[in-house]
Amino acid sequence: MEAIEVTDLRKTYGSTRAVDGVTFTVRAGETFGLVGHNGAGKTTTVECLIGLKRPDAGTVRVLGEDPARRRQALAQRIGAQLQESSLPERIKVAEALRMFGTFYRKGADWRQVMERWSLQPLARKAFGDLSGGQKQRLMLALALVGDPEVVVLDELTTGLDPIARRETWRLVGDLKAVGTTVVLVSHYFDETEALCDRVAVFARGRVVAMGTPDDIVARTGTASLEEAYFALEGADR
Amino acid sequence: MKAFTALAATELRLLFRDPASLFFMMAFPLMLLVLKRGDSGAVPGYVAMIVAIGGMGALPGIVASYRERKVLKRLAATPISPVLLLGAQLVAQVAAGLAGSVLLVVAAITVFGAEAPGNVLMLAVAFLLCSVMVCSLGFVIAAVVRNTRGASLIGMLVMFPMIFLAGAAVPRTALPDSLRRIGDFLPLTPGVEALGDAWSGTAAVFPLLILAGIIVAATAVAAALFRWE
Repeated sequence: MEAIEVTDLRKTYGSTRAVDGVTFTVRAGETFGLVGHNGAGKTTTVECLIGLKRPDAGTVRVLGEDPARRRQALAQRIGAQLQESSLPERIKVAEALRMFGTFYRKGADWRQVMERWSLQPLARKAFGDLSGGQKQRLMLALALVGDPEVVVLDELTTGLDPIARRETWRLVGDLKAVGTTVVLVSHYFDETEALCDRVAVFARGRVVAMGTPDDIVARTGTASLEEAYFALEGADR
Repeated sequence: MKAFTALAATELRLLFRDPASLFFMMAFPLMLLVLKRGDSGAVPGYVAMIVAIGGMGALPGIVASYRERKVLKRLAATPISPVLLLGAQLVAQVAAGLAGSVLLVVAAITVFGAEAPGNVLMLAVAFLLCSVMVCSLGFVIAAVVRNTRGASLIGMLVMFPMIFLAGAAVPRTALPDSLRRIGDFLPLTPGVEALGDAWSGTAAVFPLLILAGIIVAATAVAAALFRWE
């Protein structure tokens, strides 16, 4: 079954074609990567997936529904960790988890989520006093409080130290193990290679290659996803 | 409803965790009352001052920071609407203003032997309208000024002259003629009047109608101009 179907998606800001005819599908339970440099159209694409942006053209279906029309209903089933989003400085970790728990009809028990993501020791700490890695871990946990079927993670590990990055990878692996569909946006190729079943490579608002990381590497005759990306990006120019 | 209650309770806790809000809405008015030797005539004005400090002094910066730091955007990715967070901020400001005002009134009556308010029901109505009114002005500032620093600064720059010229911090009779006339056009002035009338027991409806009109107009302007990101 397809969890996400995007067909010929287009979105323009002023004269900039942020997304210029993007098509891909994500199967249920799959971890799917959107990879590419900043400004390649990845974030605009995921914002269309969760209904924050309305496409200019093309169709988007998430769990069979149109996010632009059914944002609130779909939000019950999608968890999102957005690029650079944050919380009030003085809100405490446990408070934030409990509050987000009230937004969802069914949802997981916020205490269990707090424990599973090792946030228990930080329960009474204010958001503003957390380290970058701790903030990211909380934002990730908040994306899961609603016990979502689809999770969108945008720039999950940007700004994290190597240890926190590896730790975050392990947590994403846990999501995959329980059958959650994950859409992972990243400009780190090692991360995408390690976590994703399939990848869409973005360049200038288009998908220039799609497949398993191994496929893409083999097809371009390169040694890594990063080299493959530069080969594809250059060819597209 | 569960989500809104949780948001409003959280916003109120956050206000009480902010030393500046706590001082200016709770302690500062009490200090002024002591300086005035417990003159109960000043109390309705101080109540208007308390809510103005919250609604115009604090609210614009808080709301602008929620936009700038993408708190609103994060909420837009949940099943609730980010409008609820703004509503929760309003409820929290009204509740914090009420806490500060009750503290002030109780202190005036018990410590300084002031007479109890003449018309408690009208006082409650005047309080509610006045505090919602200043918050609606705060939302206009947050809608027009984009960044956090700017919104806080403009909020302060609007609030401080207004609490003096509208008769909240000092009685308007103490002002020179020309400054008193400016007060006639300030939105906080009918708030001070309504609170003063209800306190002394004369129930005048006109200032309440003006407050309601300002709330409607300011809310419409804020809704039209507000940018979510």
